[in-house]
Amino acid sequence: MANLNIDAQAQNTYDAIVIGSGISGGWAAKELTGKGLRTLVLERGRDVRHVTDYPTTMMQPWEFEHRGQLTREVKDANPIVSKCYAFYEGTQQFFVKDAEHPYIQEKPFDWIRGYQVGGKSLLWARQTQRWSDFDFQGPARDGYSVDWPIRYADLAPWYSYVERFAGITGNKDGIDTLPDGEFLPPHEWNCVEKHFQKAVAGKYKDRHVIMGRAAHITKPQPIHLQQGRAQCQHRTICERGCPFGGYFSSNASTIPWAAKTGKMTLRPNSVVHSIIYDEKKGRATGVRIVDANTKQMQEFYARIIFLNAAALNSNLVLLNSTSNRFPNGLGNDSGVLGKYVAFHNYRAGISAQFDGNLDSTTDGRRPNGPYIPRFRNVYKQETDFLRGYAAGFSAGRISRSNQDAIGADLKQNLLNPELGGWHVGSHMMGETIPKETNYVALDSSLKDPFGIPQLKIAIAYDDNDDKMVKDYQEQMTEMFTAAGFTNIRVRDDHRNPGLDIHEMGGARMGKDPKTSMLNKWNQLHAVKNVFVTDGACMTSTSTQNPSLTYMALTARAADYAVKAMKKGEV
Amino acid sequence: MAVAAGALISLPGWAKGWTAETVQLSHNFLSRSQDDLLADIVETIIPATDTPGAKALNVHQFIQKIVVDCYDPSAQDTFRKGLTTVDELAGKTFGKSFAEGNTTQRTTLLTQLSQSTDPAQKEFYSMVKGLTIRGYMNSEYVMTNLTHYQMIPGHYYGCVPVPTKAVSQTK
Repeated sequence: MANLNIDAQAQNTYDAIVIGSGISGGWAAKELTGKGLRTLVLERGRDVRHVTDYPTTMMQPWEFEHRGQLTREVKDANPIVSKCYAFYEGTQQFFVKDAEHPYIQEKPFDWIRGYQVGGKSLLWARQTQRWSDFDFQGPARDGYSVDWPIRYADLAPWYSYVERFAGITGNKDGIDTLPDGEFLPPHEWNCVEKHFQKAVAGKYKDRHVIMGRAAHITKPQPIHLQQGRAQCQHRTICERGCPFGGYFSSNASTIPWAAKTGKMTLRPNSVVHSIIYDEKKGRATGVRIVDANTKQMQEFYARIIFLNAAALNSNLVLLNSTSNRFPNGLGNDSGVLGKYVAFHNYRAGISAQFDGNLDSTTDGRRPNGPYIPRFRNVYKQETDFLRGYAAGFSAGRISRSNQDAIGADLKQNLLNPELGGWHVGSHMMGETIPKETNYVALDSSLKDPFGIPQLKIAIAYDDNDDKMVKDYQEQMTEMFTAAGFTNIRVRDDHRNPGLDIHEMGGARMGKDPKTSMLNKWNQLHAVKNVFVTDGACMTSTSTQNPSLTYMALTARAADYAVKAMKKGEV
Repeated sequence: MAVAAGALISLPGWAKGWTAETVQLSHNFLSRSQDDLLADIVETIIPATDTPGAKALNVHQFIQKIVVDCYDPSAQDTFRKGLTTVDELAGKTFGKSFAEGNTTQRTTLLTQLSQSTDPAQKEFYSMVKGLTIRGYMNSEYVMTNLTHYQMIPGHYYGCVPVPTKAVSQTK
């Protein structure tokens, strides 16, 4: 029997284990297998294979039973996920239903999740800006949170590395707050967006309207064709899964790339319970999972472990990985694990009309739009709130028909719509400040369907966020007015945190093990062979989207991990 | 395009959604005569001309599907009561069932509903009209033959001259 056990253990032993297969997990899988490591990728959800498991991707609008609308049954059963803009009849299969993974809202928090191979990389809005030193220096400057242990220069080559592989469209704009990257040709502007760009440039030296940078292949390069990916076809139904691989997803890109090495074992339906810590060895030795189908516990072993379960779930896994050495969660000597969670503030928006350029319109669809990088509190503190916000912007015309009539006249009107004027709109993306009071923790009694403690989430806005909302509304109104837009309306939808789907932190990076969980290599200060490179590692949240930074941090950490492993350091 | 074709072939059966043949309600929400009445109402709102009307495109079936599956019970109630009202009003105003009325009579009756002082009647009419327009405009026939929907435009041109012809005449 002893021999059998040893065999079983050997069979379940890999060089590396990656927990999660979303944007960062996919990169970990690609990098580790690419460097020759036999890698086990654990995914709690089912397998979703590129193309064949996108059931709605080729469906025409009329083929949807409810033309895209959610049924009452689905909405009633899913009050949380139903709030997400991307959750509709054609995408339900890629979202976690409310009952599937319960959690406790100590404060209102809409936790949006995708449990499947590829995770939310199938569903994301694909905006990919680099962070700048203004972002990495933010906490050191104003004293909130802790100083990042890295700067832009540490990440720049890794941004280039992941951008070339993922395929990022954009324009080199030469803006301090938004470093340029390795870009494929940018998407086209329309004339009203151009008009706004000129109006803003004419009035402000430090404000820019640029074309968004997004993970779309506008012109495939050999590296994209080698992945089996093709040019974006402008369908703008990305969240159903793109059969062309026109945008970056783990499913279309990193996971099949890792599989091609022959070094990857992908194990779906594996809900991670905890990371196993061996006190004698002083290191993590493996991962304990609950098989989603059999509900049996099982253990897998490896030299290094990459934790990429998505920000809050990575916190959950660490919190649930307790031992005599780490009674409060793996690597949690500082006590900061689960705390200082922050997110992006998407509450405010603005819309207006433009009466010019009525002789022109647009043709086709664009899965991207213009972007206004942060311009507040950049070089100096100039407002009564900390940090800043970025914004999306876009313009378009909508066809309208007079629907007052009835009968043949109505039919005639419907089939001969008139082109309405231009509508313009923008939404904010504000940086929130990480605070100790914004935290996640394990509930002491309630368990999820797999017997794992439920996560308690206590995350809320503060005064800083309210002030930022107001400033965004005022500044955008001023900019819209300068552009001659009329009928300007601002809004604050008071959405719950979480709906932004940009939760970050809880296992933050930092220089000091007393105040942070991870060092500059995304390595647990106290457990050197465990790396956390998803949203959980973020020390602060920037005004930019985080996904590209997760990719760059992951590739960088994997490179370091393999070198350290070869030197015998981990 | 090879990739796209692969996707089509490998789609599982359940992914095939709504077509005229597959619209089957899970239970009998409307009686046969109410179903016929709804068909006559949608046909009055969007009639056959040189192209099919709403009835031939099964818009009445689509409406029932939406009302049953997506609307809350109070809206379903408004919908059902509205149908009864239409038949009662037909009897009162032109002494026949709605189905037996001519186009002018039917149109007049529905217009009357739209201006009714009874909020339930108004709501019924705007619900049915809105869904008729939606069902019609999103039907396969209209989207492929009249409005020329393109699933794969393959481009975005930001500044093109406004087309002089209506969308239904462009091709």
